[in-house]
This record gives sequence, C-alpha cells and structure tokens, in this order.
Amino acid sequence: MQQEGPAMDRMKRYRLDRRDSCRVCPLDDLVLLYHPRSGQTHMVISPVPEMLERMVDGAPVTASDLHDRLARDYDLGPRDVALAQVAAQLEALEALGLVCAA
Amino acid sequence: MRHELTLRIGPATFRVGSAWRAPIDALARLYAAYPDQRGAIADFTVRLQPTSLARRWVRPSIFITGDHGLADAAPMSLAHGLLAAEMGMNLQMALGWRRHLLLHASSVEKDGRALVMTGESGSGKSTLAALLGERGWRLMGDEFALLDLDSGAILPFPRLVSLKNRAIDVVAGAVAADRMGPLLRATAKGDIRHMVPRADAVARMTEGAAPALLLFPRFGHQAEVRPVGQGEAFMRLTQASTNYVALGEPGFAALTRFVTGAPARAIDFPSGEAAFDMVDRLWDELA
Amino acid sequence: MSAALLVRALRDPASVAALDATGWNGLIAAARAERLIGTLAWRLDGGAVPAAAAPILDDARRDAEREARQALWEADRAAQALRGLDVRLLLLKGTAYVAAGLRAGQGRFIGDLDILVPRAAMPQVEEALMAAGWEWVKPDPYDDAYYRQWMHELPPMIHRTRDRMIDVHHTVLPLTARQTPDAEAMIADAVAITDGLYILSTEDRIVHSVAHMLADGDLQGGLRNLWDIYCLLPDADPRTLDARADRHGLLRHVSQARRLAAALYGDGERLTVWDRLVRARLLARDGWGRETRKLLVFAFYLRSHWLRMPPQMLVRHLWTKWRKGHRPQ
Repeated sequence: MQQEGPAMDRMKRYRLDRRDSCRVCPLDDLVLLYHPRSGQTHMVISPVPEMLERMVDGAPVTASDLHDRLARDYDLGPRDVALAQVAAQLEALEALGLVCAA
Repeated sequence: MRHELTLRIGPATFRVGSAWRAPIDALARLYAAYPDQRGAIADFTVRLQPTSLARRWVRPSIFITGDHGLADAAPMSLAHGLLAAEMGMNLQMALGWRRHLLLHASSVEKDGRALVMTGESGSGKSTLAALLGERGWRLMGDEFALLDLDSGAILPFPRLVSLKNRAIDVVAGAVAADRMGPLLRATAKGDIRHMVPRADAVARMTEGAAPALLLFPRFGHQAEVRPVGQGEAFMRLTQASTNYVALGEPGFAALTRFVTGAPARAIDFPSGEAAFDMVDRLWDELA
Repeated sequence: MSAALLVRALRDPASVAALDATGWNGLIAAARAERLIGTLAWRLDGGAVPAAAAPILDDARRDAEREARQALWEADRAAQALRGLDVRLLLLKGTAYVAAGLRAGQGRFIGDLDILVPRAAMPQVEEALMAAGWEWVKPDPYDDAYYRQWMHELPPMIHRTRDRMIDVHHTVLPLTARQTPDAEAMIADAVAITDGLYILSTEDRIVHSVAHMLADGDLQGGLRNLWDIYCLLPDADPRTLDARADRHGLLRHVSQARRLAAALYGDGERLTVWDRLVRARLLARDGWGRETRKLLVFAFYLRSHWLRMPPQMLVRHLWTKWRKGHRPQ
C-alpha cells in the first residue's frame, strides 16, 4: 500500500475553482492567503503560492503536470523528491479546501 | 433595571443596568468627565444582576451579562461591583464590536502617530501605557486598540485604566488622588484599582492616529530588544483580536496593512525606567 | 414588554418610526436575546431608522452575511467528507434555508450545521466525519450514552481546526418522544439544491420546524422558530401540508404553529387558551433583554422534558443534570 499510495496521488487531478481564489498578501517572511469562501486565513511558504499561481487558469492538473510547470521557472532539484513534495502539498491544499479534486 | 447609566467610551455607547446602586454610583463618579449620554440609543446593554433571587440581599453576588454574555461567567462580590461593570462593558466589546478590528492592546499617541503595545495579561502593556500617558504621550487605551478598517488608523478606547497588584502603587504615585478609584482587594485577578485617564485623553477620545510602531513588551526580564517578523506580528495580532475572524476580508486587509506598515519589536524590560528609555529610543529610531 | 416590540417590528417595519430611545434599546436587546437581530436588520433595511441605530443594524446584517457564508462552507466540507458514501447531504434549518435562498434564511442566525441521515448510515457517517477532522465535543459518558440511546442525533461533534459544530440527526424528534415523524420518508422526498446539497420538501421543512418548536423544545428561541415557520408557510400548499403533517403525527402542532404565526407575525388569528399560554411564553422578555415570567418559562422547561421521555426516565435525567449544577437559563 505504501508503495502504491504516492504513485496513485501523482495520477490524481486537482483544480483551482474560481470560487476558491484567495486574496494574497506577501509578508517579509511568509505569504498570507485569505480564502473568502471559508473566511480562513492561511500562512504559507514556497512552493505553495507558486503552485496556486500556476493553477489559476482552472485547468485540472496532476502533481506531475504541476511539477513540470514549476520546473520551467525554478530549479526544483531531483524530480522524485520534488514531485513527492508537490503531491503532498496538493493533498494538504485539498484538505483545506483551497483546491479540489478534478 | 433598578439603577442605570449610559456611557460613551470612544466610539461605543453602553447602557449599564444594575440591581444595586453601588456599581452605578462608582461608574458615575469615575466617568463624570465623559460625554453625558442619558437617553441615547446604546450600542450595548450590560446587566449586573443577582446570581439568584436571594443573592440580591444576602451575600450579594453579581452575574455579569448583557447583549453578549458567557454562560459560565464567575459570579462576583458586590464589593467588586465597579470591576464587574467594567468587565461587563469589556465583554460586549470583545464579543460584539464589529466596526473596527479590535486588538487586545494598549496604545498611546504623539505627534499624530500611535504606539501600539500588545501582550499577555501581566506583560506590563497596560501600566506602561498609563505611565507614558503621564509623560507627554496621549493615552488612547490600556486594554483595547481599535484598528479602523478604512483608514488604517488606531482609534482610542480610553476606558478607566485597570491597574493590578504591583502596578497600583507605581501609578498611584504619579497621578492625583482624585483620579484614582477605590482599591478592590482580592479579586480573581488580585488587587485592582482603576485610574481615570487625563482630561486630554477623554476630550480627544474620537481622534485616531496612524500606527507607527508595534511593541510586544514583557516585564520582569533583562533588557532586550528583538526584531519581530511580519508573519509573527500578524499571527500574534490575530490571537490578540477577538473579532478578526468575525470581520472577514476587511479585517484581513486592515491587519495586513498594519503589519506591513508599522515596524515591530519585542522588548523585555526589568523596570519602568528601562522601558521608557527603550520606548524613546525605538520611537526615535523607527517611528 | 420588549419581545412584543420585536414581534411588532418584524410584522410591521414601519412601526419602529414611533419608538423613542428606550423603545429602541428594548427592541435591540430583545432582538439580540432572541437571536433575531440579523432578521430585524433585514426587515428594517431601507427604512428610516435613527442615526444611532443604523450602525447596530449594519453590523447585524454583516454578521448574518458572514454566518451564511461560513455555514455554506461547513456544508461544503461535510459534503466533501461524505463523498464516496451513498448518503445525500440533507441540510436542516438555517444552513438549508440559506443554501436554498429562502426568505427564512435572510439575516438568520446560524449556529451548528444540522444534517439528517438515514439511521442505518449513522456508523459510516460518523466514521467519515471523524476521518475528515470532526471529533466529539464532550467526553461525558452519561451524556454520550444518553444521546446514543435516546436522542435523535449523534452527540455533537466539533471540527478540530475550524472549531465548528455539526449535529447529525437520524430522526426528527427523540426516540422517546410521543410523536414519531417518519424521518425515512422525509429523506426520501428531499429535494436537490446544488453542489450535492439537499433540503427537505416544502411541506416537510415546515413540519420539521414545527416539531422542534412545539413538540420538543421548551420554546427557548421560539420567536425565531416561529419566524422561520411564518416565512416557510406561503411556499406550501395548505392541503398538502395538512396531509403531510398528519402522516408525521403532527397535524395538531402544525395547526397551532399556523395560528401563532398569523397572530404574531401576520394578519392576526383567533387563539385558543393553550395558544395564549404559548404566546405568553414566547413574549416573556423585558426591556433589558431579560427573560420574565420565570414560572411560566420553568413550566415550559419541565414540559419539554416531559414530552421527550417517559416520567421515570425524566426523573433520572433531571437528577443527573442537576447534580452537575445544570439550571435552565
């Protein structure tokens, strides 16, 4: 199962619903997101703001798609490690309701 | 209710009703210089009522409630009626005020700019504000600072200053006797004595000031200044606000504007004198 | 009596023009105490109010808007949590009214998220909610056993991070109550709103609200319940409603609610002696927002427990509560 789980996650597609777009305020040490639909404020650091930025078009993406979009602008290091991170962040964002399963 | 008084403090009007005369008389004396609001429509109703029918007369015990109340609020002795009235008003502000972002903080003003100090109870923020108010600053409030959602200004809430334990003698030594309330011994928070703010603090109680410096004071430690990042300042201020969540997006906008606009420092200080020096220095340097 | 002022202001918003400051203070205190301040603010919107009252009403309107937003978010989260189960998310009370855009939802105070699920699905639902971050509020074993054995809902759960409560009901009234509305029929006839959310049918909404007000509760918050009912009634066909109420064993209660709604919020109605007692209980609030008529209020408190359970159990329950220092408010 443990072998399968992350691999499955990488196939899962997420999207950013327009209703869930956040008000963003960068501070000197982190980024604040205000999510109007829930009234919640989230404190996040890279790569979360960058991920959300690359999802604003609303198109469904897998962790792998998103990784590749990020890799165009940033040096993410070894693909496997970075991909696992992106997948984990997407899962966390879904739990918060900031992105949804597509 | 049998006894009542309507008071205005800063932007808020309170109708305080009491089953007993003493708390209303004490309020009337200490708030004598505040605007007369008899016959006004009040923002909040506060009620000091007996915890049970018998408790009006026998070992009188006050239940503090009103428009907003806590079901499990601890009953108070009638001897502490003034404190009960103050707590009743604070409770309404903390639970019901929506016109500004409410910060559990003290604030003082100089040259149209505000110094905001926030911290836990016992941090010294209240005493420090009271003493600065006697040293050339205008006291804006010792308990709540109101952050305006549109202008970003800090607005005053100059209720009576509530002095606790050791702070009582320190402040009583610095102000005239007629500005001090009765000593309330052995309340749930120790000994408490109220102080009436200076006349200018009351006269200018609707006049705001742009926030210029945010301090997180801590009394009883070796003197030290530590920079506070905007993220930490934001987080601590949301924790110090009772209505941040209730205000939604305007609250977010106002608070981010505050923390990105005003520098923040944590200061530890061993004595009042040390604190004055640190405040003066930081004010000159940063504000 | 300021509750009477409140009822009059809701019935006829223009009536507030005659109020002096004392009247306004009483009206506002009563509206807050009855959790109708948001509703009052909506009713008075656009009319002339004194300058000092306007910001109080604006605050109340904004609070209600935020509460509605938050309630819909909780519903969305619950729907998300139950995704994958074969259970429709059937919303009750305030959240349902807001989600469906009903008049009863305008300015309405919304506390917990109330949902109705088939009894057979309770264990799955409980498990899914726990997996999504909800947890039990109280660890008291007596209360827990009491809820599970006799009540119409799971013990209340609260979300770990969002701090919001959910009440999961499987019947309309406690299993011990005298009437036994057919919850499964209500679930079967629920109608879709949007985004996988459901609401009771037009008639069942009314029956459900009446059940809570008149067949169950001690009439705490009764003015608000009755306002809901008053707003819901015009949507229903009277004969269909009667038939539905009869099927759930609540025809008498629905008829009484109709009379009271018309008497308090509508064009008036002839009341029976029992109606008048209920009305007196509903209006028991003074100009400081305090409950008055203590004996009458206490009588209704006792009655609510009497209605919910057989006498022997009642004694045991009240005794257990009182030993813990519980008193009616």
